[in-house]
Amino acid sequence: MGGYFFRQAWQNLKQNIWINAVTLGTIVISFIILGFFLVVFVNADGLLEEWKSRIRVTAYLPNSLTTEQIKQLQDRILSWPEVQGIGFRSKEEALKALEGRLPGRKGLLKGIPRNPLPASLEIQLKPGYRNSIGVEQLVERMRGNPQIEGLQYGAEWVEKFSAFLILVQVLGLGLGGLLFVSTFLVIANTIRLNIFARQEEIEIMRSIGATGFFIRAPFYIAGVFQGILGAGLAVLILFFFFRLFLREVYDPLKPILGDLAINFLSAEQTTAMVLGGLVIGFLGTQVAVGRFLRI
Amino acid sequence: MVEMVHVSKAYTQSPQALRDITLQVEKGKFVYLVGPSGAGKTTLLKLLYAAERPTEGEIWVNGVEVPRLKPREIPSLRRNLGIVFQDLKLLPRWTVFENVALALEIWGGERKDIIKRAVEAIRLVGLEGKSSSLPSQLSAGELQRVAIARAIVNNPPLVLADEPIGNVGLGAAEEILKLFADINLRGTTLILATQNQNLPALLPKEIIVLENGRLLENSLSRVVKGWP
Repeated sequence: MGGYFFRQAWQNLKQNIWINAVTLGTIVISFIILGFFLVVFVNADGLLEEWKSRIRVTAYLPNSLTTEQIKQLQDRILSWPEVQGIGFRSKEEALKALEGRLPGRKGLLKGIPRNPLPASLEIQLKPGYRNSIGVEQLVERMRGNPQIEGLQYGAEWVEKFSAFLILVQVLGLGLGGLLFVSTFLVIANTIRLNIFARQEEIEIMRSIGATGFFIRAPFYIAGVFQGILGAGLAVLILFFFFRLFLREVYDPLKPILGDLAINFLSAEQTTAMVLGGLVIGFLGTQVAVGRFLRI
Repeated sequence: MVEMVHVSKAYTQSPQALRDITLQVEKGKFVYLVGPSGAGKTTLLKLLYAAERPTEGEIWVNGVEVPRLKPREIPSLRRNLGIVFQDLKLLPRWTVFENVALALEIWGGERKDIIKRAVEAIRLVGLEGKSSSLPSQLSAGELQRVAIARAIVNNPPLVLADEPIGNVGLGAAEEILKLFADINLRGTTLILATQNQNLPALLPKEIIVLENGRLLENSLSRVVKGWP
């Protein structure tokens, strides 16, 4: 019986080939747009996480502190709930780092009689505190401490990017929802036309004892097939353009972008897209069959 | 096999389509249901395969009380019947083989077995060589044979045929009747509706006569006389 259902589903698709082709095209375009937003969001989100992990608070230490006092200060800071890790940078290391940032201008620093740079503590926050509130909380704890000469921090730009990402997410979800509904309606309408085209056959099948399941199954298979094929094709097309983007845009800009990695959808996300196609195909058929196939 | 007890059927436009019909068809019988156009033959057959519900009365087919069937139980009743419809109800875009095999597909089963049984049924009705033809490429007699093949392909215990010889010439009608007789010899109960009063003489069997929705005769192996 299974083979029969698939043959009939194929007949359904063939019978109104142009309408079914347009439906498939609509599904493909909708899923390309959805997939594009997903790729942008996933990469931007990855970038945000990377930037967040770089959020640090630098505490500059006075020259008067002894090694023992620095050790005690480090231990105290490490005991705070916001703090994930702490690194010490001596005056010498700070100077070396500065020299490293001034290639070819080392001479500038040679004229200085003594190292003016202070030793510092690089404080790394736990993931839940990598935002302006977490940073402020940590800074408040350290402010006024005589063992700390100065503080350097900044998370506002991360906050702004995070807000931008939320906007992208809302736009993506809104547009995705609209596309989902319109694709669903297009599928439902196509299945309705398939049903009308086969009205006589359906009537004859009923007359000789076909069950509702027997009559409906090929329509469901056709709808689900279109959904899966459309979403699958969208992923392939998206992947093609992603590779093209890497080759034509990303690779030439790599020296500027540095280590910034761009990824395509993961296996799970790709599967979710194809499953989305299946669901939309099923729901579209369900509505058309429920409304127009009276058995 | 088939029993109708005080069955009546009224339509809005035909208040007395069938009136107080009581009859019994035993297993293995070949029964002619004869009567002029509008006598109620098609209505009677439709009641048997639950395409219509009686206004009153009891109808039993294969041990099932038909009027009490829920809509979802009707397909099961029909799958256990062979039905040759007056308008044949062949799928115009399907080949002879596909039309016949459809009844088996509805039953389900192995593709191999479906092919074997459909080919056998097509051979039995004498249409070997026409398996790939579309209905539009066949004569009236051949179309009837396709409809008969589809009706018998599942070896149903009861076959209902509505005017299976109405649109064919006398020679073809005789051949179709012989085909029905062969099917009957294999143990299948047959109820064949016709308005041709002469045909039962070709193959005398039990005859039920309907006129204006009433049962006039219910006799064994004789030709009804005096019926216009």
